[in-house]
Amino acid sequence: MLIFTLRRLNLFIFTFIVLTALSFSLSYLFPGDTLINLTGQVNASPKQRLFLIEEYQYNSNVFKQYWAYLGHLADGDLGISISSHTPISYEIMNLLPATIELSVVALFIAMIIGIPIGFIAAINHEKLTDKAILSISMLGYSIPIFWLGLLAILVFSIQLGWLPSAGRISLVYEIEHITGIQFIDILISDNPYKWQAFQDATLHIIMPACVVAIAPMTIFIRLARTSMIEVLDSSYITAAKTKGLTFWQIIYRHAIRNSLVNVIRHVGLQFANLVTLAMVTEVIFSWPGIGRWLIESIFQRDYTAIQGGLLALSSFIFIVHMLTDFIYAALNPLARDRKHGA
Amino acid sequence: MARENIYQEEEFPSPLLQLWYNFKEKPFIMLAFSCSLALVFLAIFAPIITPFSSSQSHLDHILLPPAWNNDGNVSFLLGTDQLGRDMLSMLMHGASFTFGLSFIIVITSAIIGVVIGSLSALTSGFKSSFLNHFLDVILSIPSLLLAIVIVAILGTGLSNTVLAIIIVLIPQFIHTTRNEVKKEFSKDYVLASKLDGASPLRLLRYSIFPNILEKIITQATLAQSAAILDIAALGFLGLGAPTYIPEWGTMVANGIDLFYIAPWTVYFPGFAILFAVIATNLVGEGLRHALKLRKEH
Repeated sequence: MLIFTLRRLNLFIFTFIVLTALSFSLSYLFPGDTLINLTGQVNASPKQRLFLIEEYQYNSNVFKQYWAYLGHLADGDLGISISSHTPISYEIMNLLPATIELSVVALFIAMIIGIPIGFIAAINHEKLTDKAILSISMLGYSIPIFWLGLLAILVFSIQLGWLPSAGRISLVYEIEHITGIQFIDILISDNPYKWQAFQDATLHIIMPACVVAIAPMTIFIRLARTSMIEVLDSSYITAAKTKGLTFWQIIYRHAIRNSLVNVIRHVGLQFANLVTLAMVTEVIFSWPGIGRWLIESIFQRDYTAIQGGLLALSSFIFIVHMLTDFIYAALNPLARDRKHGA
Repeated sequence: MARENIYQEEEFPSPLLQLWYNFKEKPFIMLAFSCSLALVFLAIFAPIITPFSSSQSHLDHILLPPAWNNDGNVSFLLGTDQLGRDMLSMLMHGASFTFGLSFIIVITSAIIGVVIGSLSALTSGFKSSFLNHFLDVILSIPSLLLAIVIVAILGTGLSNTVLAIIIVLIPQFIHTTRNEVKKEFSKDYVLASKLDGASPLRLLRYSIFPNILEKIITQATLAQSAAILDIAALGFLGLGAPTYIPEWGTMVANGIDLFYIAPWTVYFPGFAILFAVIATNLVGEGLRHALKLRKEH
């Protein structure tokens, strides 16, 4: 496990260098003045500009500039937004939790519904149930998400009127921003109406989370199905059968556990996909997350924001990736000895 | 001795032909295959066969519902949009943007990815490990986010979207090619030709490529459905095709404001995207299934 951890740490450092270098080089790639792209100080006076040039080592070579950039990153300084002049790190702190909330809820929905359905398909392998589940799951990952979101709004908010169509919570409730994760904020607030607020927030998240969850769910169905079929084919299941266990005993005691381990391995890979879907969904449902903010930043040519957003979002995804890798390695001793990334 | 074959001639199909035989056995897959062929046909010949031009507006027929509706007009089979443009013609033209461009994207990125991937498979040590980690990082960034960043660098517009999606898809091809080439390299038949004195490039050309071609094609179908969805998503977000181009995602975005009074302006383009992606995915599924069957033989 120690060697595994060291190897992962190595990868982590490498990834961090690549991501920051990518984000740093964006200020050169974006149109316009490099220093303005990097800092977001559009209206800097000549004196301020001199100060910034000194700060970011703008007159030295690229490596020194990159080093200065890293120093600013370490202080949590990502520059200020070109359009709104608020610090990027402050905006990200406000917006990223909303995206995390949406994607985590969606991930749970996808896993809780997708994995059991996949197991059912695998148990009925090559039968009608299996084929029906596979065809429906094909539909699920072919559907364009923005279209699905629009249809969901039309049916559930406009025609049936069951669920609200936009935002995180009704404006009636005033919830103090502490952790940024709305549900936790509501629970720790001392608002007399916090249960109503909680209900309202739940109603708001159902539809966007379900829309985001559809495509990953179908992928979980397929993953769970393949891994269950593999497990049911293995020799320890045959051994359990010869021991005289009934079919359901085998499924509960041996098959589900072993196939779940394989599914968990893919959660990290699916997460990048899920965040992409969440970004589009945020636009449709006016969810105040980082995806919507990034897309608006493009229209406003707010390059500092795009740079910071890219860095924040991809490091978040990479951290989730690493976490699932660790969980997988902790659960499955076989994975620790294997060479990773070599 | 009884002969089960009436014909004396015995057929030994080539690997690719065998793949085709396995592929065409499933009628459902063949249906999807013909649908995607039809889409290719549409993508090429849309300007000739559409009833109207995609930009021609009929000002006396604005927001006409589809023909089966009581208020519909049969010369506008799927109705018209808020500028009086014929939906059917726009959808047919859209095939060449959303579906046709996805072909170009996939072919370009496949060629670039395969070349880089196979060359990198020949390297080893630090260079190889560096590339592998680098690809891992790039692959962990969500494809749409990467595309958005590239669009931000290049500016919005259809051609820049295409370029962005090509760049986004390349790492997947590098990854697949690299893994497959490495796998083949460790096999005995490659060793045999190596002992015959074949150079690495010759090995790639004559021994390895014929054997990994199907894997790359399978990857290409996956990439294509992703490309269609990405073009449409960027079009929908207003970063891709400008509003006057009848790209399916852009058409959905144009229809949003009128969703409640003219739902067909959103339904049909969405269905078109869904149809194209399902057809592509089914063809990919059929290919994977045929590959598996051939392996089991």
